[in-house]
Amino acid sequence: MLKARSKVAIMTLVAIAAMLALPSAQSRPEGVSGVQESGCMCHGNLPSDSVVASIDGLPQSYNYSEEYEITVSFQGGPTQEGNVNQGGFHLWASEGTLSVNDATAQVFNQNEVGHTDAGNDQVSWTVTWTAPATDKNVDFVLHVNSVNGNEDGAAGGSTGDMWSKATVSLGGPIEVLEAADPFVVLGVLIIVSASLLAITLAYVFYRRDPDAFDWDNFAPWLADWMTSTDHKKIGTLYFVAGLFFLGVGGIMAMIIRIQLAVPGNDFLTQEQYNQFFTLHGTTMIFLAAMPMINGFANWMIPLQLGAADLALPRINAMSFWLQPFAALLIFTGVFSGHGADTGWTGYAPYVVSEGAHHGTTMWAAGQIMLVASSTLTGINFLTTMAVMRAPGMGWMQMPLFSWSILVANVMLFLSIPAFGVGLIQVYLDRVVGTAFYDIAAGGDPLLWSHLFWYFGHPEVYVVVVPSFGIISEVIATSSRRSVFGYRSMVYAMAGIGIVAFIVYGHHMFTSGMSPTLRFVTMLTTMLVAVPTGIKVFNWLMTMHGGSLVYRTHTLWALGFLVTFTLGGISGMFFPSIAMDTHLHESYFVVAHFHYVLVGGTVFGFFSGIYYWWPKATGKMLSEKLGVLHFLTAFVSYNALFWPMHRLGVWGMTRRHHTYFVTTEEALGSLPMEAAGWNMFITVSGFLFFFSNFIMVFNMIASSIRGEDAPDDPWGGWSFEWMTSSPPPAHTLYKLDDGSWGIPTLRDANEHIANEPGWLSTWFGKLLVSDDDTEEAAH
Amino acid sequence: MSVMTPIFEGLWDHYILWSVIVGAIAFGWLYHHSFWFTSKDGEKVPNVDGLEVGVFPKHNDDMRLEVAWTILPFLLIVWLTYYSWEPLDAMWTSADGGVHGYECDYDDPKYTGSNNSMNSLGIIKSDCYHVIEITGQQWFWSFDCLELNESLCDTGTETMEVYGSVPVLSLKKGETYLAVMDSIDVTHAPWFQHLGTKEDTVPGMETTLWLPISDDMTEESMVLCAEYCGDAHSIMAAKLVAHN
Repeated sequence: MLKARSKVAIMTLVAIAAMLALPSAQSRPEGVSGVQESGCMCHGNLPSDSVVASIDGLPQSYNYSEEYEITVSFQGGPTQEGNVNQGGFHLWASEGTLSVNDATAQVFNQNEVGHTDAGNDQVSWTVTWTAPATDKNVDFVLHVNSVNGNEDGAAGGSTGDMWSKATVSLGGPIEVLEAADPFVVLGVLIIVSASLLAITLAYVFYRRDPDAFDWDNFAPWLADWMTSTDHKKIGTLYFVAGLFFLGVGGIMAMIIRIQLAVPGNDFLTQEQYNQFFTLHGTTMIFLAAMPMINGFANWMIPLQLGAADLALPRINAMSFWLQPFAALLIFTGVFSGHGADTGWTGYAPYVVSEGAHHGTTMWAAGQIMLVASSTLTGINFLTTMAVMRAPGMGWMQMPLFSWSILVANVMLFLSIPAFGVGLIQVYLDRVVGTAFYDIAAGGDPLLWSHLFWYFGHPEVYVVVVPSFGIISEVIATSSRRSVFGYRSMVYAMAGIGIVAFIVYGHHMFTSGMSPTLRFVTMLTTMLVAVPTGIKVFNWLMTMHGGSLVYRTHTLWALGFLVTFTLGGISGMFFPSIAMDTHLHESYFVVAHFHYVLVGGTVFGFFSGIYYWWPKATGKMLSEKLGVLHFLTAFVSYNALFWPMHRLGVWGMTRRHHTYFVTTEEALGSLPMEAAGWNMFITVSGFLFFFSNFIMVFNMIASSIRGEDAPDDPWGGWSFEWMTSSPPPAHTLYKLDDGSWGIPTLRDANEHIANEPGWLSTWFGKLLVSDDDTEEAAH
Repeated sequence: MSVMTPIFEGLWDHYILWSVIVGAIAFGWLYHHSFWFTSKDGEKVPNVDGLEVGVFPKHNDDMRLEVAWTILPFLLIVWLTYYSWEPLDAMWTSADGGVHGYECDYDDPKYTGSNNSMNSLGIIKSDCYHVIEITGQQWFWSFDCLELNESLCDTGTETMEVYGSVPVLSLKKGETYLAVMDSIDVTHAPWFQHLGTKEDTVPGMETTLWLPISDDMTEESMVLCAEYCGDAHSIMAAKLVAHN
C-alpha cells in the first residue's frame, strides 16, 4: 500500500502536469497571434522557404503624416508567367493609414489592405501608407501566396500553392519606448516586492545565527513558521501578509493615480482601470486591513488578558493559512488578464452578467474562503475572551483594545453570514447557472445590495473599531492617565456595533429601495455621530490634566484624532438627502471613506505598530525616523485626499477611468481647474506611498541594530507590559514574587470590582465554571 | 448656474457652518491640550490615577461631562435632520399631489404648463408635471418624450468633442418632468450634474426621478453614468439642454 507521503507526491505530479497542459488548450477564438493573421487566407498549411516576400519603399524612420509608396512583392514558389493566377497578398500595419493606388488592391480597413481579383495575376503590388502624426513604433506584417494557377475543381484551386510571411518594423523621428502593459507593471512590482520580502526573510534568518546559515537549519526554521500554532508567530505572519498587501494595494492606487493625473489620459483602458479599482478595494479591505487587525489581535489579546495563548491555537493557524490561498484566488484573474472588474461592491446583476470578466468567479471564490477565515478567527477571539481572562479580570476590566476586538468580532459574526450567502449565490450563478440574480428568471438585483451592505457597512466599522481600541490605549498611556470614561467608551463601542446594522441603507439612497427604508436609514445614519462623538470627546478629555509625552505613537494618535474627526464630519453630509443625491458616487464619497479608512484605520495601525513593536520584537524603533515618517505621511496624506472633496462637489464621478474638463471649445463634466488638482493629488499620492517606506526601513534598521527594549517602555498598565520583551515562546508573565506564571488582576477601584454589574451577572449565568463541571463528573 | 444647485448650496452652507463650529471645538481643544498638558520623556510627573502595571487603574470619569457630549451631538443631529427635511421631501416628493402636483392634463382649458418656481430654500414647486422615459443600456442612454410635443421635450444625438456621439435630451425651462426609468441589462444611474440629482435604473424594476428645469438652468449640461456598469461606463454620457 502506498504511504500517505507517496500519495501526496503523486497527486502533486498529476496536478503539475494538469497545470502545464492547461495553457496549451485554445479557449479563445482569436488565438494567441491576434489580428495580424486574421486576413491571411493562406494557401497551404505551412509557409514555404522557397517563397521570399519583401516590402520595399519604407524608410528607417518615418516623418510625421508623410505618405510613402510601398511595393510588396514575392519571388519563388510555383508561380510562373502565364498562370491563370499568380499570387496574392495581405498587408497589415499597426499604425498609420493604408490606402490603394489602383484597382489591383483593396482596403479592408485603415490597417489592412489586400489584392483584388484584378490583382490576382501579379507578383508585385504598390500601395500607399500615410505615417501617423505622432511618435509610434510601427509594425508591418505581409502575407503572400505563390499560386500555381490550377483551376478550382477536384485538384483544388489552392493545391500546390505556397505562402510566406515578412515583417518590418520602423519608428518615428523620435524613438519611443514601447508603453508597458499596466498588468505587466503590476506583476513585476508584485514579484519584486515578494522577492524583497524573501530576501528580507533570508536575511532575518541569517542574522539569527550567522554560523547556522544553511539549508539543514533553514528547513526546520521555515517549517516551524509554517506549522506554528503560537499566537505570536501567527500574529507576525498576519502582519507580514497585511503589510505586503498594503503595499500591493498601494501600487494599484498609484497606477490608478497615474491614469487620473491628466484629463483624457490613456495610460489605462477602462477595462484595465475597472480591474485596478476592484482589486485595490478588495485588497485593501480584505487582504490588508483585516489581516493587520488579526495580527494585532493575535499578538495582543492573549497578552492583554493574561492568557498563555488563544483558546483554539490550531483553528488560529488554519484561519491564517486560508488567507494566502484566498489571496491567490482573488488575483488569479489578473494573471490571465481578466481580473474581477465589478468594484469591491460587486453589484448585481453586473456581477453575474456575461460582460463581467472570468476572474470575477475566482474573486468570489477567494472571498468565500476569507469569510471562512474571518469566522474561524472570530470564534477564537471570542472564546479566548470569554474563558481565558486572568483571575480578577471582569468584562469591565478588559483593556479597551480587547473590548474593541470583542465588539468588532460580534459585529462580524452578525454580518458576515449575509455576505457569505450572497457570494455563494453569485458563485453558483456564475458557475452552475442558478438564477438568484438573473433578472429574466425573476432574480432580484436589490437582494445583493441588501446582503452586501448589511455586511459591508458593519465591515467598515469592523476595520475601524480596533483602531479606536489602539488609540484609547495609546492616548491614555502617553498622557499618563487612565482613559477618560472607560465605561462610556465601552458602551459607545457597543453602540457603534448596534447602530452599524441599521444604517446600511444609506449606501442605497439612490438605488430604488423602498422610500420608507430610506427614511429610517437616513435617521439612523445621523445617529452614528453620537457614539463616535462620545469617543472623540473622551479621548480629548483623557489628555486633560495629563502629561503628554511626544513619542511617534502619540503623534500618530493625535493625527488620527484630526483625520478621523474630519472624516466623521464629512460623513454627516450624506444623510441629508438633497445633498446626497448630488454627492453619491462622486469623489466626495471617495474622500470621505479614505479619511475614515486611511486616516482612521491605517493611522491607528501605525500608532499601534510604533506602540507595540518594542514589546513584540524586544527592540526599540528609531524615534527620529518615526517622527519623519509621521510628518511626511501626515502632510502628503491630507494633500492627497482633501482636494477630492472639492472634485466630488464639482462632479467628478468615481469608477470612471478618465474625466474631461470644460474648455472654451468643449463641454466636459468638470471645470478647468480640476485638471490641476488631479495632478496635485497624484503627486501627493506618490509622496504618501513612498513616505511609508520610512517605517519599513525603520523596522529593518531596528531589527538589525535597535536598542534593546525594556519590559514596559511607555508606562502602560495592562498585562502585556508584565512579560518580557519579546515575550517567552510559551507566554508567561513576571509575577510580583519574581516567578513566572499567569497573573491576577488587581483593581484600584476595589469597591466597584467587588460588585458584579448586571451584565456580568447575566453573562456569568451562561458560562459553566470549571468547578461545576468537575462536580457534575463526580 | 454652477454645478451646485440652490437647494444644495443652502444645505451645504448650513452644514459647513456646523462643521466649522464642531471642528473649531474639537481641534481647538486638541491643539490646546497637545501643548498645555505635556511633559518631557523621562520627567517625573504625578501619577494622578495611580497607574501601575498589572492593576486596573482608577476610573477617570465625570458623568455630567459624558452625558453632556452624548446629548449635545444628539441635539445637533436632530436639528440637522429637521433642517434637511424640507429639501429631502422635495427631492423625493410624491407623484400624487406632492410639490409638483399631478400629471398635467393637457385637455384642461386652464392648462398653461408646469410654471415652476423656486423658493428661498431652492425648492422648486410646480403646478403639474410631464412624464418622460429614460432607459439605461450598456453603454448608452435612451430618452423617450412619449406624447409630449417638441416644444416641451425633444431628443436627438450630437457629436461631442470627447465623448463621441451622445444622446441629447432637450427640456423646456420652467417645466417639471418626472422621468420613469428602467434598464435593459445591468444597473445604471443617470447623474444630471447641474440638477444635483441621480437615481439607479434597475433592470426589471421601475424607478423615478424628478427633473425640475428652472428658468435659470444652464443651457447645456452633462448627464453621466454614476453606477458602475462595465467596460464603457465612463463614456456613457448624455447631454441635457434647457431651452426656452
